[in-house]
Amino acid sequence: MNLFVVWLNQLSEWMGAPAAWGIFIAGALIYIVAEWRIRYLAMIVQFLFIGVMFLRVFDSRPEMALMKIMVGWLISAALMVSARIRENTLDDKFRFRWARNLPFRVLTLAAVTVIVYLASRTFTLPFVSADVGLACFLLLVLAILFFGTEEQDPAIVGVGVLNLLAALDMFYSAQEPGLLVSGMLAVVSLLAGLACSYLTVTEVQS
Amino acid sequence: MTIPGPYVIIGLPLVAAGVLILLRRWTLITAWVATAIAAMLALLITLVPQGAPYTFTQWTIALDEPIYILGRMLVIEPVDRLPLTFIFFTAAVLYLVAWRLLPRSSFFPVGTAVTGLLSAALMVEQVVYAALLVEMAAILGVLPLHEPITSRDGTHYGGTTKGGLQYITYTMLALPGLMVTQLLLEQYALFPGDQSLLRTATILMGLSFAILLGAVPFQSWLSTVATDGTPPVVTFLFTVNLGTVWFILLAYLESYTWLSAQTFFGPLFVTVGLIMMVVGGTLAASQRKLGRIVGYATLVDNGAMLIALGTRQVAGLSLALMLLVARPFALGLMTLGLDGLRRLTSRGEGDVADLRGAGWIAPWRTLAYIMGGIALAGFPISLSFSARWGIYQVLAEKELFQAILALLGSSGVMMGLVSSLRVLLMPVDSTSNKDREKEDPVVLFLILALISVIVVLGIFPQPVSNIAFEMANAFTFIGQ
Repeated sequence: MNLFVVWLNQLSEWMGAPAAWGIFIAGALIYIVAEWRIRYLAMIVQFLFIGVMFLRVFDSRPEMALMKIMVGWLISAALMVSARIRENTLDDKFRFRWARNLPFRVLTLAAVTVIVYLASRTFTLPFVSADVGLACFLLLVLAILFFGTEEQDPAIVGVGVLNLLAALDMFYSAQEPGLLVSGMLAVVSLLAGLACSYLTVTEVQS
Repeated sequence: MTIPGPYVIIGLPLVAAGVLILLRRWTLITAWVATAIAAMLALLITLVPQGAPYTFTQWTIALDEPIYILGRMLVIEPVDRLPLTFIFFTAAVLYLVAWRLLPRSSFFPVGTAVTGLLSAALMVEQVVYAALLVEMAAILGVLPLHEPITSRDGTHYGGTTKGGLQYITYTMLALPGLMVTQLLLEQYALFPGDQSLLRTATILMGLSFAILLGAVPFQSWLSTVATDGTPPVVTFLFTVNLGTVWFILLAYLESYTWLSAQTFFGPLFVTVGLIMMVVGGTLAASQRKLGRIVGYATLVDNGAMLIALGTRQVAGLSLALMLLVARPFALGLMTLGLDGLRRLTSRGEGDVADLRGAGWIAPWRTLAYIMGGIALAGFPISLSFSARWGIYQVLAEKELFQAILALLGSSGVMMGLVSSLRVLLMPVDSTSNKDREKEDPVVLFLILALISVIVVLGIFPQPVSNIAFEMANAFTFIGQ
């Protein structure tokens, strides 16, 4: 077995709920920081945690989880390149900055954290463990936050789409562990990533 | 050698798309090859009879023969034939329309790939795969929607990408509902006594299709896409993509007859349809952007189709199908008009305020926009008028008030068009340096051809209504 897969397997054994909260913290970082370098670093970390959660779904096929991480990282790279082109075109220099309306965003994140935690304890998703269910809820809420507050930013909408697809993939794969649906969802993720990175560049060129 | 039909119908567009993307800079070639492939497939599906293989030299194409991909069957059922013809025929017409409007565009290869994916969505039986294929087609469709294009006259397309982002977001939000529906249906097959599974599946499926069709309150993507997107691609999304969603909805209703058998099915569809028509009409009447009128007119048209479906009569379903067939002609014509008029505005957004007197500068484009709009609003003389009139009659038989509401919705679109026309026909400012535009002869020919088709089919709607009636008869869920 691949060394990375072995390492991931070991990681998933002691990281269940922490990985779910890791997904959320990485997502929250993307939500509150406007600097693209930090955002995509957070995205790479988020996909690592998503992969760890997938290992709990595909426990007999860890290579599937590895594929999910690779797809996520590939999309992150595409979005990162687009953001760089955008920055170069706009001649925007690197400087750390928080996202607009920071207090509102922090408050929203605090509120959804409580809501998601309570929801995951009240509504148990069928055929998934508690931590995978929590991860699904957290990813769903992050996707809604990204869609709702950054609807004109292609890169962030792209992250939202990927989070929604990851939540759906985790939930659906636990119910019906078929390769075809999982593979098609990976293709949809790749296409969505491609479209969003393309739109990021297109907007600036126009 | 015998080739199963699905390989040809799905495979040929996908392979051709790969080749066309390499030839992208030669617009004449890509546009005509894309048109030829789409037209050829439409003819193949229409002309080859059911059960009879088509032989060409040593190749034999068996349209009805299924293929299996990882155990999932893809087959062209008799009921799929008209939807497939609709997709390919509409695509062929739109490639021709776009030929002179979108030089060096990725629309031709991407559109060809999208038709292949949507065909696969129609051929596959399970909800989940159809939903994922529609999703892929929707995402691909966004690529040419906001492509920066410099047209032949030097004007530039592109700008905000909000429309495409909203389209991706909304179609993505529809996906979980459709996928979970599949799970619930599988569980219901195991536990047929559990009515809560059925109820949840119905709600999720209804919600997902409402998002995909832009029903109120999920209508915002329709107007944003129509405002921000390149007109020919918008038309493609509103006819080919949305048309496929309609046919998939019909296929589900046919597969899961318990859905339409529920008592609230008819009233729910009629109510939602009426809300869509009234809201769409009201918003269209107050619009100041030409693109938004296209979006809201499409919303009204979708509402009329839902009402027709909600009547639960074969006549109603055939009226809905007539509207669907009429839409590409009306929207295609509107596209040609909108494209020219948008170029006259400073930021290319098609704001009516910037188009004072544009009717005298670009008379053919103005005529195309208004004639297409009248047809999409369902006013005479157009094919949509015959269908809308039929819907008003069916509604009036049950409740006159509903028919009046539906008529008011359509009138709202007309009001939006009339108020735009009023500005377009204002005297041109004497200080303006805009001269009367010389029209591209090919575009002029397309405008005249589409106006002729709309008027002729408006006067003689029988051939289309016969096809629609024949197709509606193939759906057995209506009579139950």
